[in-house]
Amino acid sequence: MIRHLFKLIWNKKRAHSLLLVEIWASFLVLFGLSSLIVYNVRNYREPLGFEYQNAWAISLNSNQDTVEVAEKIERVLQQLRDQPEVEAASRMSSNFPFSQSSMNNGVEYNKKNVLADFFSTDEHFAKTMVIPVLEGRWYRSADSVGKYTPVVINRKLKEGLFGDEKPLGKVIGERFKVIGVVNTFKSKGEFMADKPALFELLDVKTRWNDLLMVRVKPGTDAVFEAKMVKAITTMVTGWSVEVDHLTDSRKTTHNMTLVPVIIFLIVSGFLLINVALGLFGVLNLSIAKRRGEIGLRRALGATGTGISEQFISEIWVLATFALLIGLLFAVQFPLMNVFDIQAGIYLTAIAISIVVIYGIVTLCALFPSRLAARIQPAVALHEE
Amino acid sequence: MINLTNIEKVYRTSSIETLALNNINLNIRKGEFVSIMGPSGCGKSTLLNIMGLLDEPSKGTVELDGQRVSTYRDKELARLRNEKIGFIFQSFHLINDLSVVDNVEIPLLYRSANGKPRQTYAKEALEKVGLSNRIKHFPKQLSGGQKQRVAIARAIVGKPEIILADEPTGNLDSAMGNEIMNILQTLNNEGATIIMVTHDENMAKRTHRLIRLFDGTQVQ
Repeated sequence: MIRHLFKLIWNKKRAHSLLLVEIWASFLVLFGLSSLIVYNVRNYREPLGFEYQNAWAISLNSNQDTVEVAEKIERVLQQLRDQPEVEAASRMSSNFPFSQSSMNNGVEYNKKNVLADFFSTDEHFAKTMVIPVLEGRWYRSADSVGKYTPVVINRKLKEGLFGDEKPLGKVIGERFKVIGVVNTFKSKGEFMADKPALFELLDVKTRWNDLLMVRVKPGTDAVFEAKMVKAITTMVTGWSVEVDHLTDSRKTTHNMTLVPVIIFLIVSGFLLINVALGLFGVLNLSIAKRRGEIGLRRALGATGTGISEQFISEIWVLATFALLIGLLFAVQFPLMNVFDIQAGIYLTAIAISIVVIYGIVTLCALFPSRLAARIQPAVALHEE
Repeated sequence: MINLTNIEKVYRTSSIETLALNNINLNIRKGEFVSIMGPSGCGKSTLLNIMGLLDEPSKGTVELDGQRVSTYRDKELARLRNEKIGFIFQSFHLINDLSVVDNVEIPLLYRSANGKPRQTYAKEALEKVGLSNRIKHFPKQLSGGQKQRVAIARAIVGKPEIILADEPTGNLDSAMGNEIMNILQTLNNEGATIIMVTHDENMAKRTHRLIRLFDGTQVQ
C-alpha cells in the first residue's frame, strides 16, 4: 500500500507542488524556531556558576577626579566591607554579571588558541559571587608577587586548552599561570552558552577597574542602599555612583533573549496556522473532487476506516517528500557547524520539527479523512 | 449464489420519499449471465448496488452464498466485495494518476498481497483482456474501449465469483461494445456469474436471462 501511495503522490507531483513547498517552508521555519528554543533550553539547564541573589553591582565614576583614583576605590571597598549588612565585597572589571559589557581575548597553550571571556577581579570575587572552585584554589593578593599573573579558568576553557591534561600550574598565553578551575560562569545569564572564561587577579593600583560587587545579607533593603550611596559620595566627592541589583539585571538580560524568541514563536505560529488551514482546505477540496475514487475503492474492498487511513497516509507521504527536501537543507547546519552550535542541538531541532510537521498534517487530514470515510460508495459512484 | 427476498429501497429526503425498488425477489444461480433492463430511473443501478453490497435495502433480505449479509459489519462487507465481487462501471472509474497496471492492482492492495505477485496477477488479467502492451500507459492515453478493458481486468484480477457490470457498453460504440461483450461471455464461460445492467436489447439477448424493471418493480 505504501508503494501505491508513493506512486499516487509522485504521479500527482505537479498538482501537489504548492503543498510540498508549504510543508517544506513550514519545516524550515520550525527548524529555525526549534533550534533557537532547544539552544536556549539547553543553556538554561546548565548551571549559572554563581549566585545573583542579594548581589549588587556598584559602578563608580570618578568623573573629573584623577587624583589617587585607585586608592580611593580601595578605600570605598574597605568601607563597604565594614558595613554589618555586607557579607562580602569585591572589585572587578566593568563586565560584571548580567551587564552588557564584555571583554574577550585569545588564550594560547601548546599551539591551541581558544577565545575566552576575560574578567579582572580581586581575591574576594569567588566569595562575593559564591563561585565554587573545582580544582586548585581562587587567587590571593599575595600571588601577584610572582612572575606570572594568577588566573582561574572555567571548565570549558580547561577542556579547550588542556583536554585531559591537568591544568594547574600551567602557563598559558605567556603571562598567565592557572591556579584554579571553576565549573561554569555564565555572566550573561542562564540563557547564555557556557563559554570559555578566564579570571585574572586585577592590579589594585589601576584606576580602570572601578566596579564593586557587593553581597548583602538577605533582607537588606533600599534604606541601606541609600545610606551606602550617601556614604560613598561623601567619601569620594564629585564621583557618581550607580547601583544595579543583579536580580533586576538578570530580568533585563532574560528579556533580551526571550523577546526575540517569543516574537519568532508568534510569527511562526501564525505561519503554521495559515499552512494548516490551507492544508485543511486543500484536503477538503481534494476529497470533494475524489468522491468517485472513494466510491470505487470502497467497491473494490476498502473499508471506511481504510479510506480514512489512506487520506492520512497520503498526506504523510506528501509530508515525507517535503521533509526529505527540507532535511537536505537542515542537515547542512550540523555538518557545517553553523553559528558554532553543537550538532546535537540541530539534530534535536530536526527531530522536533519532523514530529510537529507530521502532527500538523495529521490534524489537518483527520477531519477531511473522516468525511471521506463516511461517503456512501453507491452515491459517490453514481455522482461520477 | 445471490438471493434477494422482498427487497424494498426507499430514498428519503426531508420532504420527498422515493420508492426505488419495490418487492424484488430474485435468485441468481452460480454461472448465470443475467441482464437487467429498464428505463432510466427504474432502479437498475440501485438493484445492482444492493447485490454488490454497496447499498442496503430498506426492507428485505440479501443472501450471498446462503449467508444473510444484513448483519455484516463494514469490514466483513468490504472483504466480501473484495473477494467475491468484481465491478465494471459505465464510466470506467479508472484513477487517472495511476498507470494501467497500477489501476488493475487496486483490488489486490486490499488483500495485502505483496508487490511482485500483485503485479503478476495484474499483468495476467491485462493479458486476458488483450491489453498487455499498454500496462505502463495512463488512462488518458487510452480509448474508451481500452479503458473498459482495463476496468474488466481490474474486476477479474482478484478472481471473483460474481461480476457486476453497470452498463459496461453504455459509453462505447457498437464495435467496441461487442468486443467487451465477447470478453464478458468468455469470463462467463470460464465460470463467472455475471449480472449486467444494460439499455441495449442486443446485448441483453446474448445473456442467459433477462430481468426487466419498471418503476422499481420487477416486470419480467
